[in-house]
Amino acid sequence: MKTLKIGFISFAHMHAVSYLNAMLERADVEVVGIADENQERVAPFTEKHGIPYFENASKLLSQEINAVVICSENARHAELTREAAAAGKHILCEKPLGLSEKEMLDMIQVCKDNHVQLMTAFPCRYLASVREAKEAIDAGKIGQIIAMKGTNRGTMPGGWFLEKEHSGGGAVLDHTVHVMDLMHWFTGSVAEQVYAHAGTLFHDTAIDDAGMVHVKFQNGVFGVLDPSWSRPKNFPTWGDVTLEVIGTEGTLYIDAFAQKNDVYSDAGGKTAAWSFWGDNMDKGLVDSFVDSLLNGSEVAISGEDGYYSARVGLAAYESAETGKPVALNKPF
Amino acid sequence: MNIAIIGCGTMGMTYAYNLGKMPGVNVSGTADLLKERAQDAASASGGKAYTDWEQMLDAESPETVAVCVPTYLHKEFVIKLARRGIHIICEKPAALTLEDAREMKQICEEQGVRLFIGHVVRFFPSYADAIHKVRSGKIGTAQMAHFKRHGSYPQGSELWYHDPAKSGGVIMDLMIHDIDYACWLFGDVESVYASVTDPSISGIEYAQITLKFQSGAIANLTGFWGYPGPFTTQFEITGDQGLIRYDSNQVQSLDLKTLAGLSKSQDAVQVPSSPALHDPYYGEVKHFIECIQSGEEPIVSISDACRAVEVALACKQSAQTGQPVPMGGTAS
Repeated sequence: MKTLKIGFISFAHMHAVSYLNAMLERADVEVVGIADENQERVAPFTEKHGIPYFENASKLLSQEINAVVICSENARHAELTREAAAAGKHILCEKPLGLSEKEMLDMIQVCKDNHVQLMTAFPCRYLASVREAKEAIDAGKIGQIIAMKGTNRGTMPGGWFLEKEHSGGGAVLDHTVHVMDLMHWFTGSVAEQVYAHAGTLFHDTAIDDAGMVHVKFQNGVFGVLDPSWSRPKNFPTWGDVTLEVIGTEGTLYIDAFAQKNDVYSDAGGKTAAWSFWGDNMDKGLVDSFVDSLLNGSEVAISGEDGYYSARVGLAAYESAETGKPVALNKPF
Repeated sequence: MNIAIIGCGTMGMTYAYNLGKMPGVNVSGTADLLKERAQDAASASGGKAYTDWEQMLDAESPETVAVCVPTYLHKEFVIKLARRGIHIICEKPAALTLEDAREMKQICEEQGVRLFIGHVVRFFPSYADAIHKVRSGKIGTAQMAHFKRHGSYPQGSELWYHDPAKSGGVIMDLMIHDIDYACWLFGDVESVYASVTDPSISGIEYAQITLKFQSGAIANLTGFWGYPGPFTTQFEITGDQGLIRYDSNQVQSLDLKTLAGLSKSQDAVQVPSSPALHDPYYGEVKHFIECIQSGEEPIVSISDACRAVEVALACKQSAQTGQPVPMGGTAS
């Protein structure tokens, strides 16, 4: 059996833990090392699983590995991707892909030049409800898509997410990209215009924690999504992913985390909570990445996909600043 | 209180049922060009059926008239009734243009008669409860809201809803409910942005609206004529210390299933109902009658109704131009 050798670069983004667990479940994956400047942050994982620790990315990249998972702060995605690509490693990069159009186009190009694959981590594509919705849409069950409304509302994450030099933006950048990617995937089109509001409405912080992002797609479809960190502390779960799709022959509504039990407890923690029991989307993402590399096929979600969605978040800030719709051109 | 009803379609019948059982109210006459409808309303309310509304006024001398004719006829009826010194309860929207709505207001004031516009959503117990919770500070400062109103395409007499020159379309006729409620919640609107489906798509009219308020609050509304599911209304109001939400599909306090199956017939215009002592229209009309008797100001004023028309027109303009519209921008 072929084995894929994987390295992890940075656990700054908490999704790294879930991706690591999914990698460890596979017999055909060997996790060769975890690189992080902050040893304390990754010690629970290196120690528990006996994974070698590296103090920086370049030391990890000099190892014999096929691919890396980058879960650094958003601002470091570009430099770490460049470094990994130059070392000939395939890359699964946490979203948002990058913090400027130029930076992301450069990341895509450097991976092409080095003949490595770049996959953007959009796990929502691996939600069972989302996959069935995609099949229904492709089978023409709701006719032609006319419009969409989505939400990816969350709880404020705190930490470096609130520091613009590390995150590049607040809720609007953080939470626009997932549902935006689903909108692109479902329509097969690309956003060409963005009109948005962004602001700080819920928390005592300098960065945006609220927004409303309207998009128009090249094929005439229009949509809107709410990326706000607007869930109160007592909300029964971290947040939501919903998407309503209006077609000429029908509609569909995804409420991705509706597969839950209601839990009411006096034993500590939240007194009312939702316990999600649906399939693990992060495992679906990791399996797809690993399978593509082992089969030598193209990764399912490209760097271009990551770019198309992240630039909507970036354009949303520009629109919110100017008060006008922002046009996006097609670079490829 | 001697009341008559003009226009005995779906809304006229709703008024007839409610007024017919209201203590202290006497429905003297019901008028409709279609004799059968006038008779249906008469038997529901205990009044006398007329096909000539002026003949009805001469014969019955009502103190108050409920105007339930198609929107494009509101102004004509309201002004004629005002000139006869009759108080008026008029269905929403007040009129299809701001000028008409303001003229109705002015003439009623000049004639010394009361004019009420039936923005019934303010009287729905779930919506009323939410505003009380917000006003009491339960969710801190309300900052964002979502509103959804999806139903079948209303089949009015001679399909008048389908003609935007008569009904104003889905934004003016349907979404004005949530526009008015959002303004009640958040105050004056700073700017609007809207998208609506192409009129060439038959059987569907779907729109998305974002209202930005002077307070900084943001509300997103969707409205849908042609929704294939049950009539659905939802809202979520989010503050900096909590949120309140409601889904009309999640409040069934009675679920009755019979082996005979569901009736195939569907209401021409869907009016939500739920087991309650009285439907929201009862509370609304009762409140208006009490205002006439006491001289007090209503929960929803004619100025509120004018503002709702003004915002709805701005939304239609935005949908047409693709640009945000600052409020005041619709004044001609």
